[in-house]
Amino acid sequence: MTHPLYTETEARVRESFLVLMHALSFPGRPQNLPAAQADDAFLLMAEALLDLETTCFTADMALDGLLAQTGARRADLASADYAFFPVLTDEHAASLALAKTGTLLLPDTSATLFIGCQFGGSQASRWTGPGIDNEITVRLSGLPDVFWRQREKAVSYPLGWDVFLVDGQQVIGLPRSTRVEPAAG
Amino acid sequence: MTALSSLTAPQQPYSYGYLDAHAKRELRRRMLKAIAVPGYQVPYASRELPIARGWGTGGLQVTLALVGPESIVKVIDQGADDSVNAANLRRFIARMSGAATTTDAVAATLLQSRHRIPEERMREGQVLILQVPDPEPLRAVQPDMSKSAQMHADADYGQMWLSLYEQLVRFKQYIQGASYPSLVNGRHIISPSPIPRWDTPKLHLASHLTILSAGREKRIYAVPPYTTVAPLEFSDVPFQVEDQSGRACRTTGVRNRFMNEIPQTDGTSQFELSDSGYAEKLANGIMPASTYYDENGEFYHAGILKPAVRPD
Repeated sequence: MTHPLYTETEARVRESFLVLMHALSFPGRPQNLPAAQADDAFLLMAEALLDLETTCFTADMALDGLLAQTGARRADLASADYAFFPVLTDEHAASLALAKTGTLLLPDTSATLFIGCQFGGSQASRWTGPGIDNEITVRLSGLPDVFWRQREKAVSYPLGWDVFLVDGQQVIGLPRSTRVEPAAG
Repeated sequence: MTALSSLTAPQQPYSYGYLDAHAKRELRRRMLKAIAVPGYQVPYASRELPIARGWGTGGLQVTLALVGPESIVKVIDQGADDSVNAANLRRFIARMSGAATTTDAVAATLLQSRHRIPEERMREGQVLILQVPDPEPLRAVQPDMSKSAQMHADADYGQMWLSLYEQLVRFKQYIQGASYPSLVNGRHIISPSPIPRWDTPKLHLASHLTILSAGREKRIYAVPPYTTVAPLEFSDVPFQVEDQSGRACRTTGVRNRFMNEIPQTDGTSQFELSDSGYAEKLANGIMPASTYYDENGEFYHAGILKPAVRPD
């Protein structure tokens, strides 16, 4: 018996979602998006999650037009479900103070952030928490210090936002449940 | 001239995986939040399916949102691959996705289960989907959902501890059998679905992702890999799993696995492995993978299960 057609769109959306699911299940481990080009990464993730039931924010003009195609409604950062920062400047990072952290009754009403940065580099941090076998050392660069300070303020578990860090076609999940400390030495 | 048919997609009686794109996307968004806050019950829409609510629609929706043509699906019902419910769900998933099916817990990529976790250890990359009839562990102490939600919000679990204490006072042991309340990531108490106590420690620091979904109650929650899951216990009266000692499977002879009791006409009982996929391997002489409990009934994480203590 034949099954319903596994269309190209269906495959792309599903594979992108599985990457996000694994990224969040195993924080700190880079996962590969099925992107043909590096520029597509943000769009692929948006396509997997966004539709007319969601709101989104981005400061990136080019991406803004593309996000609109998903049907998601534009919103300011304070009310957006999903926020995209292909490049996170100091000002953007400071503005993250506005992003939704959910409520104790409904912690899932928090924002999900997609942030561009570079994997590898000199800034090492030690991550522990659910999804991490004991601990993992993660090296990142291109993230302003303000970002980490804002995260510390925002995350008061179970409140806080969940982050997907993106470098080219790779994604690292950073859920609110992950504790981040500077690596020793 | 362009033919009209060349401008349209081929007619499809069903969307891939039965659920339409919006339903799947909504479910996937909720799953990510469930993973981010382990043990917190995320509300979701829960769509209509061609099976009745209460027959595994929660688990089925999660499976349908995850399944693809390369997936290998195993569906079990109380450990058995061949029960009517499991067989029908498995056939439906395969028809709607083209995924391969298996009875081997090690070969499966997606494992949908009603109330058992396999004896063989699951590994990273596998997803365990548990069907949940009642997601609310506080139901017995607080029937009002809005109040129990507030108790979760405040981590106000005093009444749960009180009910455990009352069990000790009346029966000198914890009497809750299946769906034993457990604290996930030190914050949210979950009902791990009605898996026996035997299976509850398997969720603790597991290598695989577990997604629990209640279709009728419209709640989804998750236990990510390497997450602490602590069955509620007082420090001086440890949690116990069902005692399987003295029970041997009547077909394979194996001991220290979770057994089904088969009453005999003379009033005695015989026992049979509950996990039919595992039994099948033993019967066919196939070497099973490492199990959660060894031949002596020792759990693979040392120190999690402690000797029984009966309070005075």
